[in-house]
Amino acid sequence: MEIVVLLKQVPSTESLVEIAADGVSIKTDDIKWVMNPYDELAVEEALKIRESGEGQVTILTIGPEKAVEAMRTALAMGADKGVRIDPGDLRLDGLGTAKVLAAALKEMPYDLIIAGHRAVDDDNYQAGPAVAELLGIPNISMVIKQDISDGKIQCHRTVEGGTVVIESPLPALITTQRGLNEPRYASLPGIMKAKKKPVDVKPIADLGLDENALAGKTTIAALTPPPERKGGRVLDGDTAQDKVTALVNALRDEAKAI
Amino acid sequence: MAQLIADRRDIDFVLHEQLNVGELSKHEKFAEFNKKTIDLTISEARNLSIKEILPTRQLGDQEGCRFEGGKVTVPECFHKVWDLFLEGEWLAMPEDPDWGGQGMPRTVSMAAGDYFNGANYAFMMYPGLTHGAAKLVEEFGTPKQKEMFLKNMFTGKWTGTMLLTEPEAGSDVGALNATAVKNDDGTYSISGSKIFISSGEHDLAENIIHPVLARIEGAPAGTKGISLFLVPKIWVNEDGSLAGSNDVVCTGIEEKMGIHANSTCSLTLGGKGQCRGLLLGEENKGMRAMFLMMNEARLLVGMQGLSCASASYLNAVNYARERVQGRNLLQMMDPSTPPVPIIQHPDVRRMLLTMKSYVEGMRSLLYYVGFLGDQIQISDDETEKVRLQGLIDLLIPVCKGYVTDKALEVCSHGIQVYGGYGYIKEYPQEQLLRDCRITMIYEGTNGIQAMDLLGRKLGMNKGKPILDLMAEIQKTIAEAKQVDHLKEHAAKLEAALNKLAETAMHLGATAMSPKVLAAFAFAHPFLEASGDVLMAWMLMWRAVLAAEKLEQGTKKKDTAFYEGQLSSAQFFNSVMLPITIGKMDSILATHPAAVDITEDAFGGK
Repeated sequence: MEIVVLLKQVPSTESLVEIAADGVSIKTDDIKWVMNPYDELAVEEALKIRESGEGQVTILTIGPEKAVEAMRTALAMGADKGVRIDPGDLRLDGLGTAKVLAAALKEMPYDLIIAGHRAVDDDNYQAGPAVAELLGIPNISMVIKQDISDGKIQCHRTVEGGTVVIESPLPALITTQRGLNEPRYASLPGIMKAKKKPVDVKPIADLGLDENALAGKTTIAALTPPPERKGGRVLDGDTAQDKVTALVNALRDEAKAI
Repeated sequence: MAQLIADRRDIDFVLHEQLNVGELSKHEKFAEFNKKTIDLTISEARNLSIKEILPTRQLGDQEGCRFEGGKVTVPECFHKVWDLFLEGEWLAMPEDPDWGGQGMPRTVSMAAGDYFNGANYAFMMYPGLTHGAAKLVEEFGTPKQKEMFLKNMFTGKWTGTMLLTEPEAGSDVGALNATAVKNDDGTYSISGSKIFISSGEHDLAENIIHPVLARIEGAPAGTKGISLFLVPKIWVNEDGSLAGSNDVVCTGIEEKMGIHANSTCSLTLGGKGQCRGLLLGEENKGMRAMFLMMNEARLLVGMQGLSCASASYLNAVNYARERVQGRNLLQMMDPSTPPVPIIQHPDVRRMLLTMKSYVEGMRSLLYYVGFLGDQIQISDDETEKVRLQGLIDLLIPVCKGYVTDKALEVCSHGIQVYGGYGYIKEYPQEQLLRDCRITMIYEGTNGIQAMDLLGRKLGMNKGKPILDLMAEIQKTIAEAKQVDHLKEHAAKLEAALNKLAETAMHLGATAMSPKVLAAFAFAHPFLEASGDVLMAWMLMWRAVLAAEKLEQGTKKKDTAFYEGQLSSAQFFNSVMLPITIGKMDSILATHPAAVDITEDAFGGK
């Protein structure tokens, strides 16, 4: 079983994000970079599948040289090798990213591709399904359980208020949802082995894509921070009943929550 | 978001900028540990510590250990982290890979330990003592003993302890009474009672291997008649399989001020006459074996202290940034100005900078001593090895005694910054102080450390180690004098260093005179003065590097860090060292009040 995990390095959620002077990007100086948390689930699931049978796990990422750090973490967890596509100065949107990944995947063997259902930095939810579309393979998203047998994968996928069971033939692409597994920690021997595992680096130009077609069809017009949290408010009222009335009014008329 | 346990930037600074540990990988022995591997190792140790071990710190404190029917249970939440810790193979980081270790430079393992210990050192004592006991087997065991025990201990399948203390033999180990009688099959029958045994009984592992100090029948009195034995809780057959119980019975656990989650056991050996042990090393050479392991154990205790201090400092500085209370002093009289975060108040800043400079100085000192050990490992120059070992031996009492004294002070400041909230259990500060307090007592009280420094280490090899150390400090002073921001502070360090040399000469000479008792009443003040000067040195060393970096131009985040290094050095050398000068004046005067006072005059009768 050849498994490819699509991985993205993202700012750690514990980093303080500030908007850069250009208004359309974030300041990266003080950012701590980590593996996208949903991709950790993807790596763990790939390792579990490999451990229950044969095969190898390849990590595929697009990013500058420092993106190797997140990949090394995946290799330390136990993945076999890595491929990094260097985008140079090209700025890719969700679809562009998927095109690059799909082009890279066309040159690689795969029976199963696993991706996080979204990256926590831009929350696009696009790369995984778009890659499946471009490769012409089935996609099952938001998977919380999977089972492979006889060349087929059966997945439990979250839906509003419940789960749905979906089956597809392999090769396929699935995206992960919380609850799928509990990602392992890298072990010390795993860390030692990680640096000897091969990581191929390919410039984007080597993929034979038309760079004009890759350039983002969407552009970021502006970034704004979420509104600052306002102070609390104490509701007036002489009795509990008065206070509850004030609360209900506030929830209905002001917050429009009920 | 604020950092927890230890400032990663600071750890990286000591490893890569102050000590250049990546350079060790040029040597075959550490070839696997280039900078990237070191960084990934620290990141993963931090990850495991913050996500899994830290949440057990308060839980473990509240639940504590339970003793029932001779069995001890550890806090429930420890089982999961124990498994994760073993799965990650973190127990024997610097040890021989053939026996289940990772062959890591000691300095790097200490940096990882900074996070592990800071996350919950009561938990870390289980693997920590196992590591120490296994080291004894590695160092003194026969090939057969190593085969039987070592791998199972370094992998944590079995844990370890250290059985020295008895009710009448604490600091005076030579007074111990546990006995050993040789059997026909070469084993020894052991009997005796031991107390204060950390991790002595618990439910984390299937077997516990106790190294035990005992006296073989007819052995000379005192420390010269003490031998070391391996006494398993469950007897181990020669093929490594487990036999039955070995008559090691836990008779109770202590209720303590801190480290509630580590079991402190009373053990009775051979109560039914059925406890056997294997001699480890030679007969009557048990104390020698202990001494060889002592440096490492004392360095670890220093690390435990540092970890509490570091965690307390980061909590305090983060709290001070967020806690709003009182107006800025400059606008005190204007009731319309809003209250400010308490980090703006001068007295809070004084406490924070005191904490910061101690934590940084202590981290550098401890890693430095670990690094000296790594250099011995890769050196083939015998003279150099002797020099490095001399520096280690000299610095160990400071690493243990001074560091844990100051760690407690830092933890106390850490409570003070929180005000009333520091004193209540809802916040982490009071536990850090309680946990930290034992580090001043066990593994040789800090009074013993002070006597070791004055009585044994100063005069070692005709004083060569102290001269070697002063030469190292002089190098930093010479460099600092070239830096504008540091010149005047370096002059203060130089004056303090010269005065320390004078104080050492004086106290050494007094200790050889009829005033020997008075001299030893100043052993602890001398330890403190020595530690102060070493802190000032380490902070100056850091500041010299930081000044260089600032001159070259740095990123915004780094700029704040490097400027913080200059501040620590300036604060310690110009605010704290003058007090040290006063301490040394007191030592030089050697007033014998403490030894002259009669016992009745202490009053209270």
